[in-house]
Amino acid sequence: MIFALWLLPFAGALAIWAFGPQLKRLAGALGAATVLTSFAIALALAGQTFTGRGVKAPLVSWAQGFSFGLLLDPLSLLWVFVITGVGGLIHVYSIGYMSGDRAFARFFAYMNFFVFAMLTLVLSDNFVGLLVGWGLVGLASYFLIGFWFFKPSAVAAARKAFVINVVGDIGLMFGIFVLFAATHTTTYAGVFAKAGSLAPLTVTLACFGLFVACAAKSAQLPLHTWLPDAMEGPTPVSALIHAATMVTAGVYLIARCAPLWDVSPEARALVGTIGALTALTGAVLGCVQWDIKRILAYSTMSQIGYMIMGVGVGAYQAGILHFYTHAFFKATLFLGAGILIHALHDEQDVRKMGGLARRQPFAFWAMTVGTLAIIGFPGLSGFFSKDAVIYGTLEHGYPLLYAIGMVTAGITAYYMCRMLFVTFFGSYRGDVPSAQLGVAASTNPPVAHEAPSGHEGAHAPAWLMQVPVALLMIPSVIAGYVWFGSRDGPLAYGGPGSLWFGYFTTNFATRAEAVQAAVPEWLSTVLVLALVGIGAFVAYRRYAASAASANAVERLRAESLTAWRPLTRALYFDDAIELVFVRPASAIGAAFARVVDPQVLDGAVRDVAWLAGWLGREMRALQTGLVRGYALVVVLGVAGFLVYFAWFGTVR
Amino acid sequence: MPTLIAPFGNADWLALAPVLVVAVAPLVVLLADLLVPRALRRTSALALTALALIVAGIVSLQGWGHPFSAFGGGFQAGGFTIVFQEVALLGALLSLPLAGRLGRDDQTGGGLALLLWSTCGALLMAGASNLLTIFLGLELLSLALYCLCALAAAPSAREAALKYLILSSTASGFMLYGMALLFGATGSAQLAALATGSGSHVLLALGSGLFLVGFAFKLSLVPFHVWTPDVYEGAPLPITAFMSVVTKAGALAVLARFAYAALPQADAQALLIPIWVIAALSMIGGNVGALAQTDMKRLLAYSGIAQVGYVVAALAGTTPLGLRYAMFYLVAYAFMNLGAFGIVGLLSRDHEEGSRLTAYAGLGHRRPFAAAAMTFFLLALAGLPPTAGFTGKLLILASSVDAGYGWLAGVLIAGTAISIYVYAKIIYAMYARRTGTAPEAQAARRPEPLRWLGVGICAVAVFVMAFYPLAPSDVLPQVK
Repeated sequence: MIFALWLLPFAGALAIWAFGPQLKRLAGALGAATVLTSFAIALALAGQTFTGRGVKAPLVSWAQGFSFGLLLDPLSLLWVFVITGVGGLIHVYSIGYMSGDRAFARFFAYMNFFVFAMLTLVLSDNFVGLLVGWGLVGLASYFLIGFWFFKPSAVAAARKAFVINVVGDIGLMFGIFVLFAATHTTTYAGVFAKAGSLAPLTVTLACFGLFVACAAKSAQLPLHTWLPDAMEGPTPVSALIHAATMVTAGVYLIARCAPLWDVSPEARALVGTIGALTALTGAVLGCVQWDIKRILAYSTMSQIGYMIMGVGVGAYQAGILHFYTHAFFKATLFLGAGILIHALHDEQDVRKMGGLARRQPFAFWAMTVGTLAIIGFPGLSGFFSKDAVIYGTLEHGYPLLYAIGMVTAGITAYYMCRMLFVTFFGSYRGDVPSAQLGVAASTNPPVAHEAPSGHEGAHAPAWLMQVPVALLMIPSVIAGYVWFGSRDGPLAYGGPGSLWFGYFTTNFATRAEAVQAAVPEWLSTVLVLALVGIGAFVAYRRYAASAASANAVERLRAESLTAWRPLTRALYFDDAIELVFVRPASAIGAAFARVVDPQVLDGAVRDVAWLAGWLGREMRALQTGLVRGYALVVVLGVAGFLVYFAWFGTVR
Repeated sequence: MPTLIAPFGNADWLALAPVLVVAVAPLVVLLADLLVPRALRRTSALALTALALIVAGIVSLQGWGHPFSAFGGGFQAGGFTIVFQEVALLGALLSLPLAGRLGRDDQTGGGLALLLWSTCGALLMAGASNLLTIFLGLELLSLALYCLCALAAAPSAREAALKYLILSSTASGFMLYGMALLFGATGSAQLAALATGSGSHVLLALGSGLFLVGFAFKLSLVPFHVWTPDVYEGAPLPITAFMSVVTKAGALAVLARFAYAALPQADAQALLIPIWVIAALSMIGGNVGALAQTDMKRLLAYSGIAQVGYVVAALAGTTPLGLRYAMFYLVAYAFMNLGAFGIVGLLSRDHEEGSRLTAYAGLGHRRPFAAAAMTFFLLALAGLPPTAGFTGKLLILASSVDAGYGWLAGVLIAGTAISIYVYAKIIYAMYARRTGTAPEAQAARRPEPLRWLGVGICAVAVFVMAFYPLAPSDVLPQVK
């Protein structure tokens, strides 16, 4: 069963890849069907994970600490639910969204492959499988981000994602190497059993490697720069990468390796701090974006920062809860935005939207629910999870991170409401004829537009795109209530007594009890809500009040022009990476290569040497290929050897 | 002093059996070249060579579990020897599908005969346990290779051959001098006699040093690697593939035997420190050197430098486990390297070798299977799962840490990190699409079942070895 769950999406990918031309439109249905079947299997297996330590399925095992297998425990089950459940809905949505694309089948082959890669990552019971999945996810994201390869920006974005993912892979490999050298095993169980007896430095080193991997995959500072650019992919890809799969891999890794983080306070502090700073940076940068997908991208970065902060400081259950709720509302937001973009013929600039609440009521409601959830409106899913994370930092003794988390909550409310108001309130500022706007996406007449997506012909029926979004809106509202209920009664709220905590005790059983926080939880919640309210109010004053709506075009233009430059340049992270890493690295690489490979220098001499006669030519070429560099290197080497051996022979 | 000139006994013939098969086969190949019709010459030569290599492999395997010494201690048969012999035979066999690039049609027979004789030298080296046998094997291996390197129309081939001749002779010179000193120190040419530790320490140390310098040259460990990229680039593709595995297998066999069996226990660790140092230099230098390359053969030359560094690092501390892991990694290296060369061969056209890196841009869209296979081999060379390269590296890490060489493990990790960038660059280029271009028209290609067979074998082996590291366990007693 667990193998079927794991391999079905892969089989789907293979079938679509092989028979794409024959399948035509059915490719999408097949892709969605395989993923949703996996989801059904996961549901069927769910019961078994509640008892004992989950479902294990060994594959290969031999001595010396190597064994490969699958593991479905509460932690991986949760991820499997989101990957296949939310992922499956995104597949269904994509059938509508991509209906006009020339490479329809190829798209679904990649999407299925992505789901398979992610399942490999979370189902593996050892670090090797984790690394395989990690690499495959990177590869799949590379294909999907660069899916519209005729757009130079898409190719550049794919390249950046690829490079940063390779950095992450190296980090993960480093961590695994360190762990294997110290414990001689690659299984989670084996490594974690020995975690307590390892030297603290070893664990910290390994954690550092693992966290580099997390930062690359989950877009944490300073490796986050690929995420906003990754918006070049089709919108369902953004939803899949952001909500259901890739970026949460880092959260999974830290939660999975909790026994290691428990041993290393340094690593915990590092992860918590980076997470908090990422949350803040993402939120601040989200305030100056105008592309609706980039706003959502920065919001993802910020929310992942919350999750990483949560699991980093030791509030694992809270961080995981935020992953869980975020998957729903972020998918809702992206897919809602996709409906808008689709209806507006690939317009993504919110300055050219406005007043869409009446014209696109479905998208409006979807985005509203998503926005209220993400800013933590009381009663919606994001409220519970964000509050749990923020308070968790305080409980685990990180008051500074707590403050950052509170401020970020306020900024989040501001920029998300800003997006909502600018997009849906006021009057329409774009250039799509209103006759086309007033109607639902489905009945849009086929417009011969030169959209980069290569849409051709009519759109698919609207329900294909609306049903998945509607289904995602429900958990966006209610997912947070899993936080309730415990031995002490159905309304007992949060804390170690709750069912949610109980569910994960097998994963985090040895967690030290949280320290008693100085601020009571209710007060903290009120404070957060106050900040959220202020953020939302400021956004309302600036973008939705009648004075703001009246001359929206001028105001928005003025705001775009006068925005603080460091913010519009994304705080110069790209430039800094170029300056600090890329250029010195290539310079050092070239310099080293010159030392190791003298021919690089001698190439010019060598070309000239071919003018002489045959024998002369041979000898000349030989000499030029062997000039100073060669001789020097070899002589130094021999001399070094002889000195050592002569010294050794005489002193003994 | 053992008698060097003595009548052959049965044991001697038995020990030499695989070597003899490969030594006699070239005569058959050359004879067939004269008798067979012109149209069939290439095919018959290839078939006979392959047959000889396979027979030698089977004959060699017969000795498994029956270690014994032949030629008065000059040759050791047994598990250790068999593993290295099989690697050498495998390297020769899997470079055959590439032999379409071996000179003109009428040169194939002669070329393959030389290739067999060269293999013969490597087989000797695998079991050589006295200085004379070592030298004999090494020179047999090298002499044939000098000619093979020149077997291509391009002037660069002759340049490569000449360079190889001179630098390899230099290395032999160092080694010969070292051997003379070792003989002077102990009065015996037997490796086992060195281990008793009797005799002059200065001579023993200096002799070991020069001997090791010679083998560092042959293994092309940094800083004695400078000849490798030029020679690999200039030599014909099948010969490059052959050298990258067979030469290294032979030289590693001698190095391992020398390290494990020849050095006096008390001094062994200290005497070998320079070898671990240059292994570390190779792991870094090989990968850094590969960064700047624009030619696949040069790149694989540098990659090979680093890979041999990993194998040598496994021997650090000369632990029994280390030897097994070194063998495992050597076999894995043979498969992944020959696989990568196989893809280079697949991309070759009649008059150009597919070794320019530019030929790989967009390969994933033009030839998805070739690109996928290449990606797999590059991942293996980089040491990422699920490949034998990853498993092998993990094992080496564990053994070097256990042996007390944690710093070597650290260097290995650093080298691997660099190498990932080297290979990721190529993988990226293969799957990158140039913006706005239509898929290129597919050039008409002949089907190449032989090359695909070779590549397929390598790929399966690299994959299976990732999960079943069958490091032979009973080889160590047979080293000495």
